[in-house]
Amino acid sequence: MQQLESIPKYDFHSEIYKDAYSRINAIVIEGEQEACENYVKLAELLPDSQAELARLSKMESRHKKGFEACGRNLDVIPDLGFAKQFFSQLHANFQRAATEGKVVTCLLIQALIIECFAIAAYNVYIPVADGFARKITEGVVKDEYAHLNYGETWLKDHFQPSKSELEQANRQNLPLVWKMLNQVAKDALVLGMEKEALVEDFMIQYGEALSNIGFTTGEIMRMSAYGLVSA
Amino acid sequence: MFGLIGHLTSLEHAQSVANELGYPEYADQGLDFWCSAPPQIVDDIQVTSITGQTIYGKYVESCFLPEMLASRRIKAATRKVINAMAHAQKHGIHITALGGFSSIIFENFNLHQFPQVRNVTLEFNRFTTGNTHTAYVICRQVEECSKRLGIDIRKATVAVCGATGDIGSAVCRWLAHRLQVGELLLVARNVERLTTLQQDLGKGRIMDLELALPTADVVVWVASMPKGLEIDPTILKQPCLLIDGGYPKNLANQIQHPNVYVLNGGIVEHSLDIDWRIMNIVNMDVPARQLFACFAESMLLEFENWYTNFSWGRNQITLEKMDKIGEVSIKHGFRPLLV
Repeated sequence: MQQLESIPKYDFHSEIYKDAYSRINAIVIEGEQEACENYVKLAELLPDSQAELARLSKMESRHKKGFEACGRNLDVIPDLGFAKQFFSQLHANFQRAATEGKVVTCLLIQALIIECFAIAAYNVYIPVADGFARKITEGVVKDEYAHLNYGETWLKDHFQPSKSELEQANRQNLPLVWKMLNQVAKDALVLGMEKEALVEDFMIQYGEALSNIGFTTGEIMRMSAYGLVSA
Repeated sequence: MFGLIGHLTSLEHAQSVANELGYPEYADQGLDFWCSAPPQIVDDIQVTSITGQTIYGKYVESCFLPEMLASRRIKAATRKVINAMAHAQKHGIHITALGGFSSIIFENFNLHQFPQVRNVTLEFNRFTTGNTHTAYVICRQVEECSKRLGIDIRKATVAVCGATGDIGSAVCRWLAHRLQVGELLLVARNVERLTTLQQDLGKGRIMDLELALPTADVVVWVASMPKGLEIDPTILKQPCLLIDGGYPKNLANQIQHPNVYVLNGGIVEHSLDIDWRIMNIVNMDVPARQLFACFAESMLLEFENWYTNFSWGRNQITLEKMDKIGEVSIKHGFRPLLV
């Protein structure tokens, strides 16, 4: 039987690596910035959780600074214009839901989809990261579980009244995530992150979150794979 | 609680099962999709021993498919196994058997080097390959079935194909020292390992497959290959007992010859019905009673509260361990499938 290839060594200072890193790093920085703002918005919608959400928001801001340092460390200028465009549709969906006071949709987008995707991507990245970025990312990923947990706990406590809105929001937003992933699959691969590993880790994390909230295995299988193939 | 990590036998099989279980999102997908699919707990199991004790378990579908090995998607294959193990551990399962190709992938790709799976540190003592029980059951099948077919095992020539594997080497040990078979033919690809095995056994003749098959009264097939195997029954001795202990099992369907008796190896029958759906899916003849011996090992470890990786690593199976698992196998009502 074949042998498992050991993880190849990456040339973190090559032009090809730095070029791909300029987009991936920007996405991460922009993602943390938007998360910071989204938790501020959620705090307005959920006044009882204001202190907790303000704390989560500050955490995201710290993460952003960490990832900015990762870019500087490799002498890479993040392509923030690309990243803003990258998040624009998901961002617009969050904003619209917030304006309409749809807390459940906002939580699904930020606290479930984005957090699960961040956890999956950070976990896939850690083994192939440069030493500096690895330490930063290992610290961040621990915090992200806390964010996910906030959303899970709230949605679990309000599961029955939220269920159909969650399913609707999933149908609306998950296909966007697959499209976003396709957009950066090549760059991610240059950094050593395979698309199928990212999808798998996301589905594991998202499936666990949906299970903790109260969905059944069948519902989870349907929801977590929604729109994947047509993307 | 015990666990079983399993997988389906081919992409086609996976698609039809997903359809039957009512998951059209999975049923229409090709191999790429399965390479990204996460593990799922798809069955809750209840087993009662003939002692009256009842235990509970879960079936974890890893979403691994043999095509992943055949098409060299090794990383996907290894992710399936590791992720299924993490899933089992996260669900608080005390002892889980690695069924089908799972244990082979774990061993061949040295996955013990990667205990950290996201936020889970795998505790390997919660898992067993189940190979000790499989080896024991295959040996009992050889003994009982040859008797039934009038083959005198002490005079018979027995070929073990896949002799240097974990199960194969244990079977050779039992055949050489317990059953004292007339002649033992050792068949495998790696000559160095074969020579080491022969020295350890102090018995046995190393032979190529083509020469061994027509010579043997009993053929024990314990090699596992992603694409299955083809044997021409007309070259075999008559009568010949062929025990298919490999994975996947395809010899019984393929070989239909009056004096060649093909038996699914490493399969046990329980004395009482087991409450589960999953053995229907893997096409057992009697789905409520029959199961892979490796799965039964995790049940036995749960019955006995032996929360330890009873079968682990390569070539660690001793005759004493086979005796020990055999004793509790009988105690709880399992018996080897016979012709």
